[in-house]
Amino acid sequence: MTDEGERLPRPEYRGRVLDAALHLLDRQVQDVHGEPVQTADDLEIGDVPVGESLEGAERPRILAILNGTALSTRVVGGRPPSSTLERIPWRHVADVGTAIRLTIEADDVDATWRERWVRDHIIRRIPGGRHDPE
Amino acid sequence: MKGLFAVALGVLTAIGGFLDIGDLVTSSVVGSRFGLSLAWVVVVGVVGICLFAQMSGRVAAASGRATFEIIRERLGPRAGAANLIASFLINLMTLTAEVGGIALSLQLASSVAPGAWIPVAAFGVWLVIWRVKYDLMENVTGMLGLALVVFAVAVFLLHPDWSSLATQALTSPVPAGESAGTYWYYAVALFGSAMTPYEVFFFSSGAVEEKWTLKDLAQSRLNVLVGFPLGGLLTLALAACAALVLMPQNVEVTSLSQVLLPIAQAGGKLAVAFAIVGFVAATFGAALETGLSTGYTLAQFFGWSWGKFRRPTRAARFHLTIMIGLVIAMGVLATGVDPVQVTEYSVVFSAIALPLTYLPILIVANDPEYMGEHVNGRITNVVGMVYLVIILVAAIAAIPLMIATGAGA
Repeated sequence: MTDEGERLPRPEYRGRVLDAALHLLDRQVQDVHGEPVQTADDLEIGDVPVGESLEGAERPRILAILNGTALSTRVVGGRPPSSTLERIPWRHVADVGTAIRLTIEADDVDATWRERWVRDHIIRRIPGGRHDPE
Repeated sequence: MKGLFAVALGVLTAIGGFLDIGDLVTSSVVGSRFGLSLAWVVVVGVVGICLFAQMSGRVAAASGRATFEIIRERLGPRAGAANLIASFLINLMTLTAEVGGIALSLQLASSVAPGAWIPVAAFGVWLVIWRVKYDLMENVTGMLGLALVVFAVAVFLLHPDWSSLATQALTSPVPAGESAGTYWYYAVALFGSAMTPYEVFFFSSGAVEEKWTLKDLAQSRLNVLVGFPLGGLLTLALAACAALVLMPQNVEVTSLSQVLLPIAQAGGKLAVAFAIVGFVAATFGAALETGLSTGYTLAQFFGWSWGKFRRPTRAARFHLTIMIGLVIAMGVLATGVDPVQVTEYSVVFSAIALPLTYLPILIVANDPEYMGEHVNGRITNVVGMVYLVIILVAAIAAIPLMIATGAGA
């Protein structure tokens, strides 16, 4: 790793350097009010040109935080069909700390449909489910 | 004055909440077979749980992250999922034992068969989790659990030969008629009953539930460092009672009613009544903790919304998981399996699963990114490493010992 050419490129911007595997993957995602939304099961990264020189190519960008089938393929391997992925576009991310904070509400995230389904079909119908504990 | 009250309340709750069906059964079994010769294990276990609970509470307060969120982050999805499955199943086993324990305790009070009490117990646990506020739930079960102090009183009423008890506890001989294998098997079981993983899920999630900040850490440290050792003394009192009354008569503890025999002999009906109240409170409190822990582990791994401080509609899958866990526990108990036996296995499996939760917490407690300036000090780390070795040895030795001794037969 002493060879200059093998070193990681020096970031062009000032600010925090995040390691995607360490700081983003498997982190808790919270909505704008700090409510848990999901865990960052995987990340969707923009295309990297294959089979040609990377010189002058645009840097890959994180497009979205993934949920749903992305977890199972990270556990058992393989590649999930793109249509089954549930995405939170990266532009909704406000801040990355010990959790990833979003700028939107949990109910506005498509990926929380299971939570909403259980809430609306089961929990809401049991007496006391809508009240604070006493 | 209010501060003093809060401190006393916290400490008393920690004492009362320390014991569960695992401690009740295991320490009586051990007392009746080995006297006080395994007392040192209780000491090792109590120091361990103090260290572990204090560390996970500090991690939760400093980072706002509970145990299983950290396990997932640090171990990744694959090892994390394996960890989740093991921890979840063992927690479910403990929940089953606790619900069965409530039924057995209510049977002692009413002479209605435990089969009839099981649905009542499970429904009661669910209702409290569904509706009752976190701190109220903690304080009531903890305070009623203090009724188990009657075991400490009973030791005095039995007028033991103190010097022979002390010799037994300090020289730790393997009693005649027991092999070294069973001695060490029960050492692991007793260790597992003191350091149960659910206590840590519960403690770290509880820190988030009660919205601890770093300022509350001093209070929590006091609760743990005073409450748990006093709770450990109650465990020793249970073992001493069994050693004084059951061991000389060669009674082997196979049911909860036998745990009561020394109490009946020492203090009569009133003492028995106290003990039964203590049993119900201890098992009910632990059933609440393990029930919540089924929800905590799963919800934290998948990042769902969780916690009793939210109304159930705002933590839907968390509450659904707890309901399913209780239904499974009821189902297992409905097969007629003996809750005491489930308990005996659950404490050993707890010891086996312990490294899975201990190691990630130890690592994160040293990570300044989560902890800022509140990383482990040098002494905590030395003790933490010593315990890592103890925990690993107990976990690795457990299964061979279980096979070699026929589960302590």
